[in-house]
Amino acid sequence: MNGAAPSVDTIRTTHGAIALSHLTAQIDGYERRAASGEKTSVAWAKLIDLVTLKAQILGRIADYERASVLAERLAEAFSEDGLAFLTRARTRASLHRFAEAMEDLERAVQLGLSGREVDAEKAAILQAVGRYADAMTIRQCIADVFPDFDSAAGLASLHADLGETDAAEHWFDESYRRYRSVSPFELAQLEFQRGHMWMAKDRERALHWFLTAWRRLPFYARAEGHLAEVEFALGHRAAAISRLKRLAADADDPDYAAELAGILREIGRIDESNAWQARAEVRYEELIARHPAAFADHGAHFWLSMGNNPGKALDLARLNLEIRDTPNARQLFSTALAACSGATRAGGATVRPTASVNELGDAT
Amino acid sequence: MSDHGAGPRSIANPEIDITDVFAFPSPERPGNLVLVMCIFPFKEIEATRLFFSDALDYRLRVRPIRIAASGPAAAFAVGDQECHFSFAFDVPKMSGGRMVQTGVCRSPLGDITVRVGDEEGAQSYGAHIFAGCRLDPFFVDQLFSGGIRMTRKIPPITAVNSVEGQNVLSIVVEVEHGKLFGADASSLVAVVAETATNGSFRARLDRVGRPEIKNFIMMDKTADTVNRDLDVRDLYSEEDGFKLRPDYLGAYRARLNGSMSTYDSLDGKTDWPLDKNGTHPLTEMLLADFLVVDMSKSFDEDGYLEIELAMLDGTEHKTCGGRWVNHDIVDSLFTILINKRNGPRISDGVDQTAMPAPKVFPYLSPPNPMPPKLAPLVGIPT
Repeated sequence: MNGAAPSVDTIRTTHGAIALSHLTAQIDGYERRAASGEKTSVAWAKLIDLVTLKAQILGRIADYERASVLAERLAEAFSEDGLAFLTRARTRASLHRFAEAMEDLERAVQLGLSGREVDAEKAAILQAVGRYADAMTIRQCIADVFPDFDSAAGLASLHADLGETDAAEHWFDESYRRYRSVSPFELAQLEFQRGHMWMAKDRERALHWFLTAWRRLPFYARAEGHLAEVEFALGHRAAAISRLKRLAADADDPDYAAELAGILREIGRIDESNAWQARAEVRYEELIARHPAAFADHGAHFWLSMGNNPGKALDLARLNLEIRDTPNARQLFSTALAACSGATRAGGATVRPTASVNELGDAT
Repeated sequence: MSDHGAGPRSIANPEIDITDVFAFPSPERPGNLVLVMCIFPFKEIEATRLFFSDALDYRLRVRPIRIAASGPAAAFAVGDQECHFSFAFDVPKMSGGRMVQTGVCRSPLGDITVRVGDEEGAQSYGAHIFAGCRLDPFFVDQLFSGGIRMTRKIPPITAVNSVEGQNVLSIVVEVEHGKLFGADASSLVAVVAETATNGSFRARLDRVGRPEIKNFIMMDKTADTVNRDLDVRDLYSEEDGFKLRPDYLGAYRARLNGSMSTYDSLDGKTDWPLDKNGTHPLTEMLLADFLVVDMSKSFDEDGYLEIELAMLDGTEHKTCGGRWVNHDIVDSLFTILINKRNGPRISDGVDQTAMPAPKVFPYLSPPNPMPPKLAPLVGIPT
């Protein structure tokens, strides 16, 4: 199709309240039946996918964990069913257990599963771990065969990760043109990715897309969290703090409390900042103990900034780099390394480096 | 099944999915035309938690038509005049401890506001409307219908309604026929239902006229002499039911000719000989894919396809035609396709739902508070 993509406002989708009501009601129905012993691998996989979607939208760690537990049980109960392993691969990838997720995909293929779903999941994992060329080959193949919304959105996301904003914008626009649904979930997630791509390069654009995603889906916690971050950077302090206070109070994800603590500190509200920082720190500790890979990245960021523990940040940044060799992971590791090195030189009392001197030397 | 999941787009987005359309003279009030569309199947959730999308335009379109030709080249002439009932719904709001949704029906008669689920519906301008969750009125044994398609044989009967107890969202319009196109208009009307996006970027997402055109007939690719790797149903659903584009007509014709010939061969004899171009006698009639109701006739439970078949025979039709909610279209269609009613009735063994629709407004049974689990096969159209 030629011509400009339709503007976002012209692509109306079902209001988030209706969509979320249907989503949670569906989950409740599947959960009830699962509890009463009615289980098929298809129904179970559907339940897990729905719980994961809810986790992505509401940003609730508990839902990710619930999906993960269900998926582990599914793979045990249906050990000869490829769908069980494809489903578990998704939940493991959502917790950054990428190597195990890839093993699950291979098992799914051994059990006879093939086709687009498997390929798309593989591409997503390769992309997440920084194997962009391999991911591109798969995503391009899918797009050649299936010229639809999902394939265009996959390419948009990959070009965004590569920092190729022109190509990414082309595919984001193409995704809109190909959208033939009224579900808000996929479009809001696409808009979030678009905003994320612009965060470091063009905050006004990032603001536009985060705002669009949040308006489309007002319960979309990640979009609102990032929206608040950009709003603050653009000087809309009150709005940002208001959003983050609500998110931090409701969420079991410590990112919002950490972000809020940083903002409050920056504007001199130290006592409030300390309270939110303490809350975030406790929660990060809990989550890293349970899911080290999933929270290594955000934990490293926290202890590099508010948490003020470069040594701990370096450990986490190293773990993060081990599981995904992306430019961001390398940058985080370098920053942590530099912070550690600087802190060691300064003899800072709060610095507790656990990285070895060799590691510091090798990386620098 | 009827039009449930009739194409990849509807399977992926059940909220756009029109499952059934019914049109019939009111059994309660002669002279009134009743239009029904059902949407959003297979949601195994409580009836009270099922809402219409605020991003969709749910439309029932009516046009006056006349019989342009009878006999083998039978055809309708569709008028340009149109009366449509276009429904838009709000975001539900909390009221009295539960979510309440309202909608507006826009039509040439005027705008009518309706509260979703209100058993009484809303009345204005000679129209009576209802919107809300109801029991899915369709009934079919998918093991039977799918069995025919998979085995090319008439399978044994198991007589299990594959959608028993499921719910759908429904819209019902009862309107004085005389108010639609004037007192002098043709008594014959054609009816289609559509879902479309309602932003400024408009796209028709689903469209239904007659039941089972897309699933029983169009889904089977193997007998198609032109396209054996193309699911034509999404393309077909995007079309204006009153005027198909020429672009894909050849593809639709080939699919109908091939598929209906296969049905005709199931009893070992040919009841529908193809013409010299390989065209099945029903193809052009079914591609005029709308329900046809004669409002000069009284309500008849079994008028489905009677007008069209009489036209092909070159005789006068005797009933109102259209489609009544409880009519067993699965048996009717299989019997027509397989033996042209020259042989025994072909039945899937399911002749009604456990709770047939009442002959009073809104002509659909109340919803099941919590639908049962779907059989694994259901949702995969067969």
